Amino acid sequence: MRKDLVFGMAGSGGDGIVSAGDSLLQAAAAEGYHGVMTKSFGSQIRGGESSCRVRISTTPILNPGGNLDVAVALNWEDFLKFGAELPVSGNTVVIYEAATGIPEDQIPLVGVTPLQVIAVPIAAMAKETAGTERAKNTVVLGLIAGWFGIGAVAVMKGIRKKLAKKGEELVDANQRAFDAGRAFAMEHPLKTSMNVAVSDTKGAVKLITDGNDMCAAAAIFAGCQFFGGYPITPSTEIMQFFTDHVWKYGGAVLQAEDEIAGIGAAVGASFAGKKSMTATSGPGMSLKSEMMGLASIAELPLVIVDVQRGGPSTGLPTKTEQSDLFAAAFSAHGDVIRPVLAPTSVADIFRITIEAFNIAEYYQTPVIVLSDQEIASRKETLDPIDTSQFKIINRVQPVGADLQDYKRFKQTENHISPISHPGMLGGTYLASGIEHVESGAPTNSGSVHQRMNDKRTKKFEPLKDRKDLFEVTGNPHAPIGIVAWGSVAGVCREALDMALAEGLNVKLLVPYLLYPVAEGVYNDFFASVQKGLIIDQTHLAQTFKLLRMHIDLPKGVKPLARSGANPFLPSDIVAALHSLLSELQRSHEGNLQPQE
Amino acid sequence: MSTTGTLEYTPKDYKSDLKPIWCPGCGDFSVVQGIYRALAAIGRPPHEIAFVSGIGCSSRIPGYTTAYGFNSVHGRALPIAQGIKLANPDLLVLAAGGDGDGFSIGGGHIAHLIRRNMDITYIVMDNQIYGLTKGQLSPTSQKGRVTCTSRFGSLENPVNPLLYVLAYGAGFVAQASPTDLAGMAAVIEEAIRYPGFAFVNIQSPCVTYGEEGQQIKGLKAISESLAGLGHNPADRLAAMDLAQHYGEKMHLGVFYRNPEPPPTYGDLVKERQALLSKDALPKERILDLFIKK
Repeated sequence: MRKDLVFGMAGSGGDGIVSAGDSLLQAAAAEGYHGVMTKSFGSQIRGGESSCRVRISTTPILNPGGNLDVAVALNWEDFLKFGAELPVSGNTVVIYEAATGIPEDQIPLVGVTPLQVIAVPIAAMAKETAGTERAKNTVVLGLIAGWFGIGAVAVMKGIRKKLAKKGEELVDANQRAFDAGRAFAMEHPLKTSMNVAVSDTKGAVKLITDGNDMCAAAAIFAGCQFFGGYPITPSTEIMQFFTDHVWKYGGAVLQAEDEIAGIGAAVGASFAGKKSMTATSGPGMSLKSEMMGLASIAELPLVIVDVQRGGPSTGLPTKTEQSDLFAAAFSAHGDVIRPVLAPTSVADIFRITIEAFNIAEYYQTPVIVLSDQEIASRKETLDPIDTSQFKIINRVQPVGADLQDYKRFKQTENHISPISHPGMLGGTYLASGIEHVESGAPTNSGSVHQRMNDKRTKKFEPLKDRKDLFEVTGNPHAPIGIVAWGSVAGVCREALDMALAEGLNVKLLVPYLLYPVAEGVYNDFFASVQKGLIIDQTHLAQTFKLLRMHIDLPKGVKPLARSGANPFLPSDIVAALHSLLSELQRSHEGNLQPQE
Repeated sequence: MSTTGTLEYTPKDYKSDLKPIWCPGCGDFSVVQGIYRALAAIGRPPHEIAFVSGIGCSSRIPGYTTAYGFNSVHGRALPIAQGIKLANPDLLVLAAGGDGDGFSIGGGHIAHLIRRNMDITYIVMDNQIYGLTKGQLSPTSQKGRVTCTSRFGSLENPVNPLLYVLAYGAGFVAQASPTDLAGMAAVIEEAIRYPGFAFVNIQSPCVTYGEEGQQIKGLKAISESLAGLGHNPADRLAAMDLAQHYGEKMHLGVFYRNPEPPPTYGDLVKERQALLSKDALPKERILDLFIKK
């Protein structure tokens, strides 16, 4: 019995591949499994190629997995477009549409001999049982239930619920298609059984959601009452969630005329005293950067979510990348520090979004949540989260004596000044993008500018001591260390587990706080490190460069960077760790030579 | 705008201690006086007013009042004002700025504020020039105008701010000028009292870079009172007809006031909030939305 299976399926837009993935994930959750599902599309509006990966496990899942255990191709042309996103290995069972006419020993996968290749007349079975080829995805689900033991009951239960309104006839047609798939699998058993063990949490309550919905829910939980934004892939679902829910909490949402107006309205709402938010992706970040500078100098709390995609410009709008790191840290003009946080999964985007609001409110600053397409659109099954563990911070407001001769930008010990808002008697002031004295009145004075720059940057010092915004795993004294963030962190966590199991002496640092760079945390981490990798999905090795700006990295620490849409697999990282180990051994041997 | 002031306010209650940076004789001095008077007539306490501007000479104006001010970035007063109004609909929200701020860099925002009909009053101090950056062509400069960025004369037609907002369906549109301070204060007051988006274009001469014909004397020569002409401000087509003479004549007063103001965006938001609030899960249980049974 296996504890873990990775499915990858591809077809053309109308094949219902993603909806099959959804059904599989939901069925798996109903059967108590942990699951992660990622979707990937071409950028066509309709049609074009679409794919999904579904990983199912009896234990919690850290990432969408490496090579596929099961590949399903409804046609080869579309399957091959996903390249490294759907990697087939010698351990993969490949199932494909027989109507493609390609013999089992001639499938177009170069340089790999899969474990088993099975051509299935999927379309013909759909047509025969359901009267339409549109039931192909249900046949596939039946095959999966038959061969891998997942969803035999739960899949149809889900489909029945989903289609209930469309009539009994359609439900029955799907049932027949499902049964046909399952029967085919039973009649053609796999050479090597790949059934997944029964989950011991069968029957427990599970949540299923994606990173964007989770981010928006966290914002509302944190008290966010205003969202201003503009549609942009892959962040739009955050705004959609607000339009569905924020009204219920007395809040409002504005789909603005452009990215600038979206963040502008959010800045205004924050000035008016409400927690507010905007979300976007790379091109929108560029448009919003002037407003981010304004929020920094006016010291207004604001959360900006950047769901990264491949860039620059339109780039790869439907694929993930981490290349907005520099933009997040540096895109405002002037001398400014803007905290940047990065979630690593759907589960922790809840916590990180709440942190973003807490930091924004406490420090009176814009905060960027650097999400990415993979986290945003991947679905995870989650155990229920106890929300009472999260503390909510609200901006410090002037009271009593503060309101006698109120000074909005008053110098204080911690550089944070109580902030009023319109409607508060005694708190009136001028907020401005122009440099200002403590009262808010405009100034040209160089000395005031110096003092205010000090105030606006020194206030962040305590943030760098937030050890809880960093995660170190593995052997704390290991000579080999790797650093990864965002969706890549999940891949590295799994790789670390694999490497530790092989006996490698390694460790991993996952920063949730990317900026300001917490020098102390990194220096502690690298103290024992002789060889290491700074891993990210960028072309320029942005994380490595950002760290090197702030820290004297050990000489043996190098970047491992790769452009978007070429995901890292856990096995890639393990292989990289092995080569670090042999380098380390070689250099130790070198050290044994007599030295001057 | 609800106008239930209980205390008596005088214009000087709205005047701050900041000394304006404007050139002596600048039309904006009159505009700020007009705003003080209008606010005193309405009687909302300063701390219940949010006054937002962009960048430019005239955008300094919020700082010269005792309201909550926001002197923001170039062209973006209106988005910020809308966020403020949505966050706290009970505030009196004013936005102001120059013709460049409103009709050039920020020109894309006006149409959208108008179609949303938020209860915000927008005052444009129109001087047909970029003053703060020392005399460049502006979106309302006349064709042929010679400036430091149009040495051989402008090749562009000016924007007509009045027709622009009328065409998008603004519910209240008026024009004023320092040539008639009492009239200006009255028009601003009426704009603020109008329940919905209200626009006031103020011909505010630039004494440093403005042309001779655009100074007080020149403006007086082309000014004409709309009331004097017997214009009916409920007649939108007549208003558009008159507005075509922007640049040749200076009509003062109310071009258009919707006689049956529709609900504002804020009204509709309140309605929606009230309708949906009963569906709210307690915030601490918001993740229940994701439970799959």
